[in-house]
Amino acid sequence: MATTTLTPAATNSRSALYEWLTTTDHKKIGILYIVNSFVFFFIGGVFALGVRTELAQPGLQFFNDQTYNELFSMHGTIMIFLFVIPMLAGFGNYVVPLQIGAPDMAFPRINALSLWMLPLAGILLLLGFVTGGTAAAGWTSYAPLSENRPLSAVGHGQDLWILALVLIGTSSILGAINFLVTIFKMRAPGMTLFRMPILVWTVLVTAVLVLMATPVITSVLIMLFIDRNYGGSFFDPIARGGDAILYQNIFWFYSHPAVYVMVLPAMGMISEILPVFSRKPLFGYKAFIFATAAIGALGFSVWAHHMFTTGAVYLPFFSIMTFLIAVPTGVKMFNWVFTLWRGQLMLKTPLLFALGFLSMFLIGGIDGAMSASVPVDFALHDTYWVVSHLHYVLFGGSVFGIMAGLYYWFPKMTGKMMNETVGKAQFVLMFIGFNLTFFPMHELGLAGMPRRIADYSSTAGWNDLNLLATIGGFTIAASMTLLLWNLAISLRSGAPAGDDPWEGNTLEWATSSPPPPYNFDHLPEIRSERPLFDLRHGRTAEH
Amino acid sequence: MSSSPRSRSARPAIFALAIVALIVGVSLLLLAVGVNVLHIGDTFVAGLFPPVAVTQQGAKIRDLYTIVFLIAVAIFVVVEALIIWSVVRYRRKPGDDTLPPQTHGNNIAEFVWTIVPTLIVIFMFFVSWDTLNAVDTSAADAQTTKITAQAGQFQWQFDYIGPDGKTVVYTEFLPLVSQGGGMMVPAGRTVQLSLVSHDVIHAFYVPQFLFKRDVIPGRTNQFDFTVDAADAGQTFRGQCAELCGSGHSIMLFEVKALAPADFDKWLADKAAAATASPAPAPSGSPGSSSAPAPSGNPGASSAPAPSQGATGPTLQVTASGIQYVEKTLTAPANTPFQIVFDNQDPGTPHNVSIHKDSPTGEEVFKGEVFPGVAKKTYDVPALAAGTYGYVCTVHPTMTGTLTVQ
Amino acid sequence: MAMTTETQATLPVEHSPLAGMPHDTHGGISNPVLGMLLFITSEVMFFGGLFAAYFSIRANASQWPPTNVETGQPFSLAILPFVGPATILLILSSFTCQYAVLAIRRDDRTRFLRAMTITVVLGIIFLLAQVTDYSLLGAEGLTLSSGTYGTTYFTLTGFHGAHVFGGVIMLSVVLYRGMVGQFSSRHYDAVEAASLYWHFVDVVWILLFSLLYLLPGKTAAT
Repeated sequence: MATTTLTPAATNSRSALYEWLTTTDHKKIGILYIVNSFVFFFIGGVFALGVRTELAQPGLQFFNDQTYNELFSMHGTIMIFLFVIPMLAGFGNYVVPLQIGAPDMAFPRINALSLWMLPLAGILLLLGFVTGGTAAAGWTSYAPLSENRPLSAVGHGQDLWILALVLIGTSSILGAINFLVTIFKMRAPGMTLFRMPILVWTVLVTAVLVLMATPVITSVLIMLFIDRNYGGSFFDPIARGGDAILYQNIFWFYSHPAVYVMVLPAMGMISEILPVFSRKPLFGYKAFIFATAAIGALGFSVWAHHMFTTGAVYLPFFSIMTFLIAVPTGVKMFNWVFTLWRGQLMLKTPLLFALGFLSMFLIGGIDGAMSASVPVDFALHDTYWVVSHLHYVLFGGSVFGIMAGLYYWFPKMTGKMMNETVGKAQFVLMFIGFNLTFFPMHELGLAGMPRRIADYSSTAGWNDLNLLATIGGFTIAASMTLLLWNLAISLRSGAPAGDDPWEGNTLEWATSSPPPPYNFDHLPEIRSERPLFDLRHGRTAEH
Repeated sequence: MSSSPRSRSARPAIFALAIVALIVGVSLLLLAVGVNVLHIGDTFVAGLFPPVAVTQQGAKIRDLYTIVFLIAVAIFVVVEALIIWSVVRYRRKPGDDTLPPQTHGNNIAEFVWTIVPTLIVIFMFFVSWDTLNAVDTSAADAQTTKITAQAGQFQWQFDYIGPDGKTVVYTEFLPLVSQGGGMMVPAGRTVQLSLVSHDVIHAFYVPQFLFKRDVIPGRTNQFDFTVDAADAGQTFRGQCAELCGSGHSIMLFEVKALAPADFDKWLADKAAAATASPAPAPSGSPGSSSAPAPSGNPGASSAPAPSQGATGPTLQVTASGIQYVEKTLTAPANTPFQIVFDNQDPGTPHNVSIHKDSPTGEEVFKGEVFPGVAKKTYDVPALAAGTYGYVCTVHPTMTGTLTVQ
Repeated sequence: MAMTTETQATLPVEHSPLAGMPHDTHGGISNPVLGMLLFITSEVMFFGGLFAAYFSIRANASQWPPTNVETGQPFSLAILPFVGPATILLILSSFTCQYAVLAIRRDDRTRFLRAMTITVVLGIIFLLAQVTDYSLLGAEGLTLSSGTYGTTYFTLTGFHGAHVFGGVIMLSVVLYRGMVGQFSSRHYDAVEAASLYWHFVDVVWILLFSLLYLLPGKTAAT
């Protein structure tokens, strides 16, 4: 039944568009993932600009409260579920089979199915705008605010949100199964587990997290759907005797591991880029892998640190676990820094973004450890300080990592280099804009500004910092136009990349750019995690 | 991809000097155009700390924050310095193609940077736990003032519990001091606050307490706080901190600290007035909620002047589901008239207040706030012809238009 | 499902795009079976979420089963005449399913087809019994919207039923492919995978049955 998948059939007669729409090639699917994610990145970014514009000055100038709530709910949902997670899955799709020397993913057609669920989900989500309002209860959609009750989520928007998230979740689960089988079963000869590139390891741990956590959010979404549409009584304590905290417990059981789903592959990408551009191996390869696994395991025991102020969780346990998860993260940070140490740093755009990741994720991580302190969290929870923290992790971490990965693998994907000058300009602008937007939010939160408010009093003392953050937001937007421009000029007239423009370490650089269908004509011998380095320089001692 | 061979002598020192020069230059430039850089620096540093706490518990949290924050800054500075140093020092010099030493790792180093952070976070955990035990306990005694804050979309009300610990002796429906309401607390005495929600999750948050606690339907949360005696007379702003719907940003309240004697007298007066007035509203007409002049609006406090027999028509207004059923009203000009206000939201306080031009305009009449289900009649003084907006003082999203002609 | 490993066998070696690519083929579990095991892991977590909700609601209730406001009596569930027999049939079907796997391993296609047919029929009987039971409960006033008890009962058993339905479809496809002769002792990954899924569905039902029907309730402490 599967012969059609793999026969290099007579495709000449079919159009390129048809070819892309029906492809089961992991490379094309990976690129489609990335393109789709960028589309939603820009949609979510426009919503973010709407939020920042409204908050620039006290008073409601552009939106009313309800529209504002829809904007930030859609911003959060899109950025998390339709940008960061699929974007990283896209890079994984493109790079993982290449890095382990496999011809494709284990289940190519399921791979295509995972991909095409995403735009469908995105359309469902946004359909809310034409059916009387989207979901407006935040990306967390806490019950009972997300219940079908007066002054809460009465329209279809919330149901569409649920359907979209279930679709995305299914796509993620299928993707995770695909990654796991591919990594376990399709490695090239010699590619033992402890010779796999770090990106493959992080994708592996991520896939385990997705596999274990995503079904749990599916269950809570379905319960919410039953509550809303079939008179169920899971989460509405007033009307029907349910439990509002139950929703949060199940939701965060998924959504905290989801944070690691959103950042581990970015860490993996950084861990590919730093060694190549310092011309050194990653410092502490195995320690890094164990740290990744530890983060994955501990990630399941910290969910209630999102619920310290509910008065309904056992505080010391979740506090100590949250503190402890900082340790493997710290180990990684030191491994990265000592990879740079005594290296020979080529300050190309991918390395700049990777360094941006290190500096910004450092702040986000330290913020996380600070708020693990329960009494401190009493003060900071649900304020702009938390907004700042999560953006330092997910923008300062994941997005900087994604940009680094894009500049790093673009030559492999297209056969053309991206423009260095524009790339560096984008980095500088994005770095400045990011800090201008999100650093002031620390201070706003400490000064007492709660998150998710459409308006604030002009006498609360939050005016200047909000204006600053809005200016920063538009600076980020400007940096993104530079990215688009760079993509356009590089696709049209970028310098030819050759097989291995960066002197890479891993197998993807051993094939042509872009690689042929089924990836490799022959593979080099694999005797370490850096087969291409060994090929160029001979093998260096393990320790 | 190979960069053009530019200045070969760019050494780290020069690089660092250039950055310092840039910072100094920009600062001088800003000074020159009249921006007080030092002041901005001060504000920036002060902004990295929470406000000075006004409760004993908050002060402990602030001390803890300072410890945690300083550790965080120390870690940040060390790691960031390592990153910057590595980048500056180990940049690839043009033309230098020697392979750097291929260090794969170092077990001692890995051990050290696993153990040291572990010790640091365990230390942070224990100081946090210590503080948690100090701030998150109940030390209620006979002296303790008991208050229940009831949150609903989108207002706060405060029930003051009598000495028996059960009876509500007085209910304050208006959340802001400027409206004549707010939550009064005795400075220097422990307050035990219970939190009750009727609809969705809210959160009680006063930034100067450095504390918040969720208000969850189906579950009563409780916490204690003690405002410092020295802060008597001050008002602290508070706000719902958990997204609760389209009125989340307007769900404000204020806490005012009174000297204990003043507080006792205030509560006794309110309780007496409440028992004197007929049910269900705990306040008499002109006395309590509506009278204390909202910032000198002409006619605002002149409101209900007990019925000297209005000559105009009687208008019907119904509130249901945090909405007025009647969105438009018409009244004759220059004639006093009556509004029969039917509040059908159980337990939710509403009123009708009339403002010039629009619901946010100048207030010309304010009806008494009372919880449903109940009905009251307001005597509205004569109004000049024109368009007015009416709004619920508690719920600024409840609005309608009154045409006087 | 597209299974690349299967394809390798059907393509002439020199035409296979995978021909030049030796793989980590030493050993073990095939891709479809590993994929199914991982899928079952995710299903376990899905039911884990539903079970967690059930336990949480049950633990918070003062009385379980709660009182039916219409009758004034606590809700109750009857094992007979439908649920008990259906449970036995479902457990039995797991054995017939495994028997089918063993048969195809021995290349005994007749027994394989026979056992697989019985499995599918038993699955369908289970579903019919569940539908009948639902309509009886509905007549007694227990529905999805009758409080926490009805909501959890119908959500848990409903999702299990949906999985049984999915399993029946899967087994039917396997049966069809068996009838047209696609399986042999060298090639039965899909049978193995479908059978694993069916066992999983069975185990979930045993848990559900124990929880909903056998675990004693609690009365209100007044």
